[in-house]
Amino acid sequence: MFKDLLFGNLTLDAIPLHVPIIVGAGIFMVLVVATIIFWITIYGKWSYIWHEWITSVDHKKIGIMYLLLSAVMLLRGFSDAVLMRSQQAIASGTNLGYLSPEHYDQIFSAHGVIMIFFVAMPMMFALLNIAVPLQIGARDVAYPYLNSLSFWLTFVGAMLCNASLVIGDFAKTGWLAYPPLSELYYSPDVGVDYFIWSLQISGVGTLLAGINFIATIIKMRCKGMTLMRMPVFIWSALCAMILVALAFPVLTVTLALLFLDRMLGMHFFTDFAGGNIMMYVNLIWVWGHPEVYILILPAFGVFSEVVATFSQKTLFGYTTMVWAIAIITFLSFVVWLHHFFTMGAGADVNGFFGIATMIIAIPTGVKVFNWLFTMYQGRIILATPMLWVTAFFTTFAIGGMTGVMMAVPPVDFQVHNSLFLVAHFHNVIIGGVLFGYFAGIIYWFPKAFGFRLDEKWGTWSFAFWVVGFYVAFMPLYVLGLNGFMRRVNHYSNTMYQPYFIVAALGAAFILIGICLQIGQLIVSIKHRHTLRDHTGDPWNGRTLEWSVASPAPLYNFAELPIVSTRDQFWEYKQEHLAEGRVHPKNMHYHPIHMPKNTPAGFIIALFAGIAGFALVWHMWIPGLLGFAGVLITMIARTFKTDTDYYIDAATVKKTELTHIKEMI
Amino acid sequence: MHSEDSVANDHHHASDSTDVFGFWLYIMTDCILFGCLFTTFLVLHIQAMHGLVLKSYLNLYDVLIETFLLLLSNFTFCLAILNLYANKLFKVQAWLAITFLLGASFVGIEIREFIHLANEGFRWDVNSQASSFFTLVGTHGLHVSCGLLWILLMIIQLPLLKMTNVAKRRMTYLGLFWNFLDIVWIFVFTIVYLMGAM
Amino acid sequence: MVFIHTNNFSGMLKSLIRWLLLLTSCLVILCLAGCKGHVVGILNPKGIVAYEERKLFFDTLALMLIVVLPVIVMSFTFVYHYQASHRVKEYKPNWSHSFFLESLWWGIPCVIILVLAILTWKKTHELDPYNRITGLNQSPLLIQVIALPWKWLFIYPQQNIATVNYLMIPTGQQVEYWITTDNVPMSAFFIPQLGSQIYAMAGMRTRLHLLASQPGNYDGMNTQFNGDGFSDMHFAVHVVQPEEMQQWLNQMKKSINHLTDAAYSELLKPSINSEPKFFSGVTTDLFQNVIATYMNSVGTVHPRDNQANFNNLIKSQKE
Repeated sequence: MFKDLLFGNLTLDAIPLHVPIIVGAGIFMVLVVATIIFWITIYGKWSYIWHEWITSVDHKKIGIMYLLLSAVMLLRGFSDAVLMRSQQAIASGTNLGYLSPEHYDQIFSAHGVIMIFFVAMPMMFALLNIAVPLQIGARDVAYPYLNSLSFWLTFVGAMLCNASLVIGDFAKTGWLAYPPLSELYYSPDVGVDYFIWSLQISGVGTLLAGINFIATIIKMRCKGMTLMRMPVFIWSALCAMILVALAFPVLTVTLALLFLDRMLGMHFFTDFAGGNIMMYVNLIWVWGHPEVYILILPAFGVFSEVVATFSQKTLFGYTTMVWAIAIITFLSFVVWLHHFFTMGAGADVNGFFGIATMIIAIPTGVKVFNWLFTMYQGRIILATPMLWVTAFFTTFAIGGMTGVMMAVPPVDFQVHNSLFLVAHFHNVIIGGVLFGYFAGIIYWFPKAFGFRLDEKWGTWSFAFWVVGFYVAFMPLYVLGLNGFMRRVNHYSNTMYQPYFIVAALGAAFILIGICLQIGQLIVSIKHRHTLRDHTGDPWNGRTLEWSVASPAPLYNFAELPIVSTRDQFWEYKQEHLAEGRVHPKNMHYHPIHMPKNTPAGFIIALFAGIAGFALVWHMWIPGLLGFAGVLITMIARTFKTDTDYYIDAATVKKTELTHIKEMI
Repeated sequence: MHSEDSVANDHHHASDSTDVFGFWLYIMTDCILFGCLFTTFLVLHIQAMHGLVLKSYLNLYDVLIETFLLLLSNFTFCLAILNLYANKLFKVQAWLAITFLLGASFVGIEIREFIHLANEGFRWDVNSQASSFFTLVGTHGLHVSCGLLWILLMIIQLPLLKMTNVAKRRMTYLGLFWNFLDIVWIFVFTIVYLMGAM
Repeated sequence: MVFIHTNNFSGMLKSLIRWLLLLTSCLVILCLAGCKGHVVGILNPKGIVAYEERKLFFDTLALMLIVVLPVIVMSFTFVYHYQASHRVKEYKPNWSHSFFLESLWWGIPCVIILVLAILTWKKTHELDPYNRITGLNQSPLLIQVIALPWKWLFIYPQQNIATVNYLMIPTGQQVEYWITTDNVPMSAFFIPQLGSQIYAMAGMRTRLHLLASQPGNYDGMNTQFNGDGFSDMHFAVHVVQPEEMQQWLNQMKKSINHLTDAAYSELLKPSINSEPKFFSGVTTDLFQNVIATYMNSVGTVHPRDNQANFNNLIKSQKE
C-alpha cells in the first residue's frame, strides 16, 4: 500500500530499453549532464554558480539563462526534425522506414511542443530580459524575484519534457493534444500527462513573466519617456505581454480541464457522456492564435531596432508602427477559428473568421513597407543582424501570402492539415520569429556579454540556414498540393519521394547552419579580447541600452536617464559629438537600491517539478510533498524582510570610471 | 542633494504603486480564467443531456446562506482594513479571525453540498454538465480556501511586520482578492444556481 | 566607437549566389523527376468543387502577389543599392514621414483585402460543404461514412450495401456524404481531386457534397491525425459512368457477406491496411445507432470499452 503511494505507476519498465535511438539519446543526455557536473566540481565553481546565477534576480543574468535553455532545447527539437525528415525520405512505397509509428508519433508531438514552448518562448524572454529594462532606462524589471521564478518554472517544464524521453513516453497526439485522442480511452499511457504538466508549470512561469513585463513597461520607464517616446521594440514587447496575460489563462484552464478528464474521469472533452471535443479545439486555439502573435511581435520589434540602427536612419513612420502593433494585438483575438474551418461551423462563421484573418495582413504589410522605407536613402551596414532582416522580408512575405490564401475557407478545405500548412507555418515562424530572434541575439550579444560575435562565421551560418530553410520547405508546398498530409510516417505514392529527399537535404543544410552557429560562439569566445566592445556602443546605436558599458553594470545606470525625445541616445550623440561629455569623475553618485538574490524561485520551481512528475505517475506522497514544498517556500519567503540592499556610491563611481578608462 | 532616506522612500512609494498595479494584472488574468470556466459551463449546459441533469439537484437555500456568509465576510474584512489604517493591531487580527470563520463556513457548506450531490448520484464523472458544475463552483471554492490560508498568514504576520508599508500593501492585495472572489460568486450563483434552477 | 564593417560581403555574396544557382538547378531537376507521374490533388481537379477551389487558389495567389512581389524586389534592391560601401549620394537620416507613401501602403492592401473579402464571402457560401450543389435535376446519392480504427466504412443506405476502404461513385451525380466516427478519435474525410475535406467526430454527423466530373481512380484519405494507424487510413475512390455504377450495385447485392452487428464488431477492432471488404445487407439504421450510442452515453465507461480496446493494435504488434 505504502509502496503504491510512493511509486504510483512508476516501474522500471518505464525506461524504453527496446528503442535503441531513445537509449542512445538518453545516454547522451546523461553523459552531457555528468560532464558538466564533473567540470563544475573540478573547477570548484558550485558556489559561483549558486550565488551568481541560480539565485540571481538580475534580469541580465536571467536573460542569459533563458538563452542557454532555448539553445539546448533547440538541439533536441531539431534532432526530432532530423529524425522526421530522414524517416519520410526513405519510407516510400513498401518501405516503412526505421521509426515505428508509436515512436514517430511522439517525435512530431515533442518537436512541436519543444520548439514553441521551450525554444521560441524562452528565446523571446531572453531578448526581453536583456533589452527591455535597459531600453526604458530602468534598473531592473518590476518584480525581480518573480522574474527568477518565471525562468525556473520554464526550466523545470522543459526538464519534465526531457524526462519523458527516458522515463515513460511523451504524448502521441500532436503538439496541441486534441481530444478525444488525448483522453484516457485513446491515450491511456503517461505521455499526455507529461504534456499537461510540462506546459502547466512553464505556463505559470510565462504568465507571471507577462505580468512582470507589463508592469515594468507601464510603471518603470525613466523620466520623460512617454509612451510615444518608447522604442518600438518596447511597444512590441508590451503588446506581446498583454497577449500573454490575456491568452495564457485560457491555456491553463484548458489543460486543467483535460487533466480533470484524465485524472478524475470528468467529461469536458470526452467523446461520450456529454463531452464536447469541439470545445477543446476552440479553447486551445483561443490561446493558440494569440500565442503565435506573442512570438512574432517581439521579432517585429527587433526588426524595427535593427533596421533603424543598421540603416543609420530614423525608423520610418513611428506612429503607424505603433498603431499597426496595436491593431494586430487586438485582431489576434478574433481569428482563432481559421485553425479549424473544416470542423463544419457553417459559411457565415467561416466567412467572418476568414475575413478577420485577412484584415491582419494589412497592418503587417504596413510594417514591412515602413521597414523597407527606413532602409530607403539610408546608409546600410550589412552586419549579420541586417542579413537576417533581408532574408526575413522575402521569407515572411511568402509565408504570410500562403497564410492569407489559407484564410479563404474553400482553399483551406483543400490544404488544411496537409504539408502545405506545415510549410506555411514554418515559413512564418522560421522566417519571422527565428530570423528575428537570431538578429536580436547577435545585435544584443555584446551588451549581454561584452564582446561581439564573429561576423564571418555569422554570415556563413546565416547562408546555410536560409538556403537550408528554402530547400527543406519549398518541396513541402508542392507535396501539400498533391495530397500529402502532416504527421504521416510512410506513404505509398513513390513518385513523390524525390521531394522528401530534397526536404531532408534542406534539413541537413540547416544542421550545418546550427553547427556553424555553435562554431561562431566558440570562435567568438576564443577571440573575445579582439571582439571586445570597449565603448558599450558597438553598432552606433540609437537607444538607451547603448549608453552604458558592455556588459551593463549590475545597477544598469549610475544615474537614471531623463529623456525628452525618441532615440534620445542618438540625439545625444549628434548634439554632444563635438562638445564632449561631463567627465564621470566630476559627477555626483548616489547609493543604489538593489534587490537581493534569493533561492526561492529555484526551490519553488524544483518542488513544482517534483509535484508534476509525481502527478504524471500517480505517486501521491511525492506529489503531496511537492505541493507542500511549493506552498511552504512561498510562505517562508513572505516572512523574509531583508530582501534588498544598497550599492554604496563609491562602488558605483569606481565601476563608472573603469568603463570610461576602457572607452578611451 | 538627495539623502539616502528620501531616496529609499521615493523608491518605496514608486514600488508600492507598481506592486498594486501588478496585483490588478493578476486579478485580470484570474478573471479570464473564470471566464473560460463560465463559458465552458454554459456551452456544456445548453446542449442536450441524457441522464442526470443539474436542475433536479439544486438547493437554493444553501446558496442563500453561502452568499450571506461571503458578503458578510467582505464587510468584516473591510473593518479589518479600517483598523489597520488606525494602527489597532489587535482589532485587525480579531476582524480577520471573524472573516476567516465566515469564509470557512462558506467552504464547509460547499463541501457538504458536494458530498450530498455525489451521494445522490450526481457525481463529477457522470456527464459533462456535472463535470462543469463541480469544476466551476469547486475552482471558486479552491480560491476561497487559498484566501483563508492567506488570512491566517496575515493574522500571524501582522505583529511581525508592525504595520509598515509592507503590511498595508499585503492587506491591500488580500482585500482585492477577497472582493474579487465575492464578485465571482455573484456570477456563480446567478449563472449556475439561479439560471440552472429555471 | 563606431562599428566598422570589414567583411568582404560582396565577394562572398557573389560566390554564394553562384553556388546557390547550381544547387537550385540540381534540386529542380531532382524534383521534376518526380513529376513524370501524374499530378494529383487540387492542381488536377476531377470534381466541380475541387475545380472551383483550384480557381480560388490561383485567384487569391494573384491578388497577394500584387503586394508580395514588390516587397521582395524592394527588399533586395534597397539593401543592395543603399549599402554604406556604395556611398550613394542621397542619405536622409531624419526622413521618416510621408503621408503619400503611407496612404499607398495602407490603401492598396485595403483595396486588395476588400476584393478578397468579397470573393471569400461569396465563395465560402457557394462552396459550403453542407450546401447541396445547385442546378442539378437528380437527387443526390446518399453515402454514410463511418471512420473506424484506421479504415473507412461506406454505407449506401438506399441500396443497402456497404464497403470498407472502397468507394465507387458515378460521374455527373451529386453524392451527399454523412460522416461520423466510431472507436477512433476525430478524423477527417478527404478526396483531394474531388473537393473539400471535413472533420468526422463521434456522436455528431457532418455532411459533405461532392460531384465527380470525370471517371478515374483517385485517392481518398484521412487528414486528421488519430493514432498509430493514421498513415494507412487511405481508401480507393472509383468514379465510373452511371451504367457501370448500376452494374456494380447489382453485383454487390449478391455478396454473401452481411454487415451484421457481429461483423460490425469485428470492424471496430483496430487494424491497418485493410483490404477492401464488401457487404450486402446492413443492420437497420447502423449509422444513426452509432451516433446515438455516443450521444446518449453517460457514466464512466466508454461505449466501446468492452467491445474493442483502441490500443489492441499496439499490444498485438508487441506480441
